[in-house]
Amino acid sequence: MRRRATSALAIVLAAGLAAVALSRTGDPRERLAESDPRGALPPAAQPALAITAPRPLPAERHLTRWAPLRRSVVARARPAAGARRVTLLRRLTPEGTEHPVPVLGRAAGRDGRSWLRVRLPVLPNGTTGWIPRRAAGQYILIRHRLVIDRARLRLTLLRRGEPVFAARVGIGEDRWPTPAGEYLVRNRLHGYDSPMYGPVAFGTSARSPTLTDWPAGGFVGIHGTDRPDLIPGRVSHGCIRLRNADILRLAKLMPIGTPVTIR
Amino acid sequence: MTRLDPAALDRDGALEEARAKLTRTQLLGAGLTATGALLALPRRAWAAQLSKTDTDVLNYALSLEYLQAAFYTESERSKAITGKAGQAARTVGAVERAHVDAFLGLLGKKAIKRPRFDFQGVTEDKRAFLKTAVAFEDLAVAAYKGQAIRIESPAVVSAALGIHTVEARHAAWMRHLNGIQPAANAFDEPDSKQEVLKLVADTGFVVAAPRMKAKRKPGYTG
Repeated sequence: MRRRATSALAIVLAAGLAAVALSRTGDPRERLAESDPRGALPPAAQPALAITAPRPLPAERHLTRWAPLRRSVVARARPAAGARRVTLLRRLTPEGTEHPVPVLGRAAGRDGRSWLRVRLPVLPNGTTGWIPRRAAGQYILIRHRLVIDRARLRLTLLRRGEPVFAARVGIGEDRWPTPAGEYLVRNRLHGYDSPMYGPVAFGTSARSPTLTDWPAGGFVGIHGTDRPDLIPGRVSHGCIRLRNADILRLAKLMPIGTPVTIR
Repeated sequence: MTRLDPAALDRDGALEEARAKLTRTQLLGAGLTATGALLALPRRAWAAQLSKTDTDVLNYALSLEYLQAAFYTESERSKAITGKAGQAARTVGAVERAHVDAFLGLLGKKAIKRPRFDFQGVTEDKRAFLKTAVAFEDLAVAAYKGQAIRIESPAVVSAALGIHTVEARHAAWMRHLNGIQPAANAFDEPDSKQEVLKLVADTGFVVAAPRMKAKRKPGYTG
């Protein structure tokens, strides 16, 4: 009898609680109004920013990248620490600037480390090798390309595939040919006293296949001249010569790391 | 130790280009977005109306957005992060780039330049990528929270909160992908600007421009 009374009391209590709960779950707008009966809360502030839609990465056909070396490193034939050594890449170029390497690809080595395939500034031109990712620094993206047309004795700078500058050039004599291939602008020198190089000189990763004993490795440069009368022509030891006004204009437009196609 | 330096150089002029593009758009009359005294101004004029404190806070937020946008962009370009993590990187990256655009549009010429970043291969390794993504998103959430009370303009507070909640969603997403409980705490702690910048500097991800020019006689073949 007592147990039955307790159960009845519990049911009554539960029903009461449910009724109270239901009475509080009425129209949400009414409940919100009750929370601010005098309408004292200000409206929400509009944001100062014009938030645009998410911006996906555009597909860019003319993008290349390079990275400066963090340290001297051995380039290997495969992405593995025990693979055949191709060459030693020094952290600095012979000109004392940081050494940029064009990044052609990447792969995970068996050791789990990330490796980069890079084009090497060695003979034969066009040689590639692998270096550990950690040996290279920040990726730097380039949208330019410099094309040297040896047949037409013409240099063209492209940006996103469109020509932005062109000039006539002098290239290597037949006995010291300017080598065809894919290279990189490695550095920019200025403030020197050597009229034969003009006011500005760019270093490239191209190497003369004939002047192999040239001091500092026989790298091909792109520079001004004190003999503008010889341009256009096949007049140099392999370097690409421009009139001084043209090299100064090129220096304003072309970033370091620009890929160079000599054809 | 390298600091997240507002004066760091714009890497390849892309930022200047983006800014010029934004300015052109604004001149075409896309500057009005909402109501209110400040909001009625052409967007170009907003930077002049911002208080020094708000400008500082916005530039600080922009520096973090640069960091995040560069991180996800490099990851996407590397094509090394695939699957769900790759999808998340693409989605979040597109949002972070939109945040950068928005801050540049608001700050105009007062915007800091984009620092240079070297992510040291983290963007090309899935495990390292996710770990770093969680750290960045958690950091951004704490950083926005830390600055909220400093902001003077209600419109800027509203904008910052609008981004803060998105960063919190990113944090939860990246945590989930990394096998970490997305929301473990009842309350989150703010981080001060000093704490955040020290953490960023300690990563070594913010770097100086490489030295590629020299004043010396060439030794090229001539």
